[in-house]
Amino acid sequence: MIELKDILVKTKGRVILDVPSLIFKNGKRYGIIGENGSGKTTLLRVLMGTLQPSQGSIEGLKLNNNVGYLPQSPYAFSFSVIRNVSMTLENLQNRDEVAISALEKVGLGSLIEAKGNNLSGGEKQRLGLARVLAVPKEVLLLDEPTSATDIRGMDLIEALLQQWFEQTRGLLIFTTHAPAQALRLADEIIFLEKGRVVETGTPEILFNNPQKLETQAFLSHWSI
Amino acid sequence: MELINSIFNLLFGSDPELRRIIAVTLQMSFFSTFLSAMIGIPAGVLLGANEFRGKTFISRLVNTMLGLPPVVAGLIVLLLLSRSGPLGSLNLLYTIQAMVIAQVLLITPYITAMTSNLVGVNASVINETLAGIGIRGTKRLKYFLLDFRVPFLTIILAGFGRSIAEVGAVQMVGGNIQFKTRVMTTAIMMQTNMGRFDFAIALGIILLLISFLINSVVNRVQKVAADD
Repeated sequence: MIELKDILVKTKGRVILDVPSLIFKNGKRYGIIGENGSGKTTLLRVLMGTLQPSQGSIEGLKLNNNVGYLPQSPYAFSFSVIRNVSMTLENLQNRDEVAISALEKVGLGSLIEAKGNNLSGGEKQRLGLARVLAVPKEVLLLDEPTSATDIRGMDLIEALLQQWFEQTRGLLIFTTHAPAQALRLADEIIFLEKGRVVETGTPEILFNNPQKLETQAFLSHWSI
Repeated sequence: MELINSIFNLLFGSDPELRRIIAVTLQMSFFSTFLSAMIGIPAGVLLGANEFRGKTFISRLVNTMLGLPPVVAGLIVLLLLSRSGPLGSLNLLYTIQAMVIAQVLLITPYITAMTSNLVGVNASVINETLAGIGIRGTKRLKYFLLDFRVPFLTIILAGFGRSIAEVGAVQMVGGNIQFKTRVMTTAIMMQTNMGRFDFAIALGIILLLISFLINSVVNRVQKVAADD
């Protein structure tokens, strides 16, 4: 279980994230939704430790190899695609086999010799996911993992995440612009607006019967 | 016509002074570029890839050093290495080593600044990506070096270009001593002042040829590195 306590992130005096309390339980999938600038990415960065909050603490999260994080635009290094994945597997004897297997799962099996920096945005996201999932993980933090992919890529990634969850029963926290994706993937939805948690709940409750006006207004833009 | 004949004789002959000048120039430029790259590239990566207190100040210092006039760098090294200076006991003044020290002082800020600017553009997304797969701290340096290996070669080449073309600092700390510290730029200046234009032009042509040759080699290496 991960618990955020009194998290406050400020930049140039402006509050970017203000989360007095938030709990993520193991064995659950959390979808964080909200408009641009609502604090979704900031929340993941704080969890990942790449952004230090102005105040507050996070309990229950050890940032080790069991935690994987995929930024919204993962960087693809200028060496081969296979090396982009095997770089995470330095201690393994059969790292190339493991890397190829991970790349095949994300549909990049035919591009293993291509240069990482020559891939498209969607391919880079899939490469990033292969890199993160090449080593078994207990916690996955994914920042809009399908924002650059086409429909096929999105289906592939969603199926892969479902499979990962069924196999590990780990903790999945992902952000998305699309409530429909949160509905498909999440056990619980967290709706953020202007850096604050407005409403949380299961997809059924949140989408069918949102309590807060802000949630209703956000969801009214989408037909789910 | 006489001038052209003279240039050809120098270029394709075996003038011992010309050979020594080329050897000293290459020796000085290779060592100063090598040392500057060894210091400047890791320093530039550390500066560009990290956010820390005082970063703006250090960047400003490095950028200020970019504007350091070669004669001032020469003067600093001259004062340090002169007999009454703090490093006078090393007896390095008017040696190739002194010229290398002065050039390192000039080229290192240049390599550091170029590297820092190059790395800084993508630093946050690279750091996030590496953190996401559990690579943090100093382990990141390896991936920055690997990822930017091709543009780093261009930076090093630019550093070499600065080194081989520099005249003020090497004149001051090298003394332009025949068969010892005379390099192509100082020799061109001296020969021009003496009215020996054939020798100066021959040296100029050789300087350009060396630059072209090194550019060709580095381009080839860049291509191989990019394909790797």
